[in-house]
Amino acid sequence: MSNTPLVPKLGIGLAYQSALRPFIEEERERFDFLEVVPDILWSNLGRGHSPQYVDDAEGADFMRRMRAEMFIVPHSIGLSIGSSYSFERNHLTQIKSWHEWLKFPWHSDHLSYNLAEHADGEMNVGVTLPMPHDAETLDLLAPRIHEVRASLPVPFLLENNVYYFNFADEEMTEARFLNRLCELSGCYLLLDLHNLYTNCRNHEGDAYEFLSELNLDRVLEIHVAGGMEYGGVYLDAHSDTSPQAVWELLDYVLPQCANLGGVVFELVGSWYQEVGRERLSVQLARMKELWLRHQPAPLREAVA
Amino acid sequence: MSQRCFQTAMARLVVDAKFRDRVRAGGDDALEGELTALERKRLTAIAATRGLDATSTLYRGFRLSKLYATLPLTCALLGKRRLAREVRLYWAARVSVSLYFFEEAFGFCDHLEERLQSGLRVAYLDEVLAYERATLELQRPRNREDAPASQRVEFEHDPEILLNCLSRGQRPRAIPVLNCTLFGELDEDDKVQWHFLADKAKTSHAKARRRKEKQVSSKQHLTP
Repeated sequence: MSNTPLVPKLGIGLAYQSALRPFIEEERERFDFLEVVPDILWSNLGRGHSPQYVDDAEGADFMRRMRAEMFIVPHSIGLSIGSSYSFERNHLTQIKSWHEWLKFPWHSDHLSYNLAEHADGEMNVGVTLPMPHDAETLDLLAPRIHEVRASLPVPFLLENNVYYFNFADEEMTEARFLNRLCELSGCYLLLDLHNLYTNCRNHEGDAYEFLSELNLDRVLEIHVAGGMEYGGVYLDAHSDTSPQAVWELLDYVLPQCANLGGVVFELVGSWYQEVGRERLSVQLARMKELWLRHQPAPLREAVA
Repeated sequence: MSQRCFQTAMARLVVDAKFRDRVRAGGDDALEGELTALERKRLTAIAATRGLDATSTLYRGFRLSKLYATLPLTCALLGKRRLAREVRLYWAARVSVSLYFFEEAFGFCDHLEERLQSGLRVAYLDEVLAYERATLELQRPRNREDAPASQRVEFEHDPEILLNCLSRGQRPRAIPVLNCTLFGELDEDDKVQWHFLADKAKTSHAKARRRKEKQVSSKQHLTP
């Protein structure tokens, strides 16, 4: 696809959590860039406050220091881009202000909603709720994505969601829905292989069939992670090392993603002690080995 | 409009167990608002799944993690069983309105204060809750120019022994009586500092230990 915006080949990334700071500071050679959920480094004081968003000064300073050494890519949770009730436009302004100093090469959010109406107000479920793969959902998302893309000069990615229940009689397969979304809106994809694995495991789907249908040229970033079984359901808990099936998916998909910028490992900070430094290092080394087998060497000198 | 109603109903299935149970039992009849036949079919199907229960568990887990992170000593004092009961009551009355931790924490503080006023009896809870609420008040996100007001917390029991006991994960028992006031403020690095404002110790033991105003510096709890 000749019109695909180029993103730098960053290589292997680690998702930032404050509990991982010792690892991040002492094991920097094990990853090429950091991803951060920026929402954990600022507070939203609510609509009507000016300014509405207040940065966590200490967290933002840490990111500034890290930015001197490597790229930092934001992966938001605050847009609630799929919410029919309300779309957090002010979140975009905040992301834009972070772009001024973080100079990230792309940014992403979740293909889901967490804001909904409740009684006379609203609720924020705090969980990425899924949306049906229907034309009506595309109609809701496409103009919003255009708005996001117009506000920032870098590619915007949406992550394929994890869902623990299905919708009856969907109009499209998930892969077809994602392809259509990219065509209509110009967005790119953050392909979360652990979400895909979790969905297929819980709903008896075929991950390879999904990948064969998906336009992999739109994939600019990949996530890998681990999870756990709970109450008969496998959870995308980011609580462990990646299952073997996820590594196999990564090995399968990496050579097919021509425009890929990076692969990120996600681990919730509270599980870091359980997983440990050694096993986390092994995960990153395995990612690096696969990256180097299928992708060009990471461009670390791209740091501004 | 129906898409909005559909999303609201789906979110309610996740956060409201009574609503979920009504939809499970009564199907379509339990659903309100402008919904298409397909949306009704989808919602009743979702209500019957284990996946919905898993999603609700994640919702509750996220809310609970906010409380453990912001009110660790209060959570420790309540203990698992009583904490579970109190959060059930609190969540039944108030859905989550924000991704952020402070909103959840202050809401739970309000809930516990109301419960204390209406007769809940948990030894030391009023003191520990007031201390953690005041700490949060100092740490509350705000614009840089809006300096937080200093905080005062009255104790009737020795705060050093009480708070350190809880921070070690031990259940406090027979904490010595000590009427005193802690004064909290932010230092230059925006870390919370607590001082004994004035020593009003009533026990001779405590009086002997604290003749002068004593500074204690810890972000979350007093250290010996």
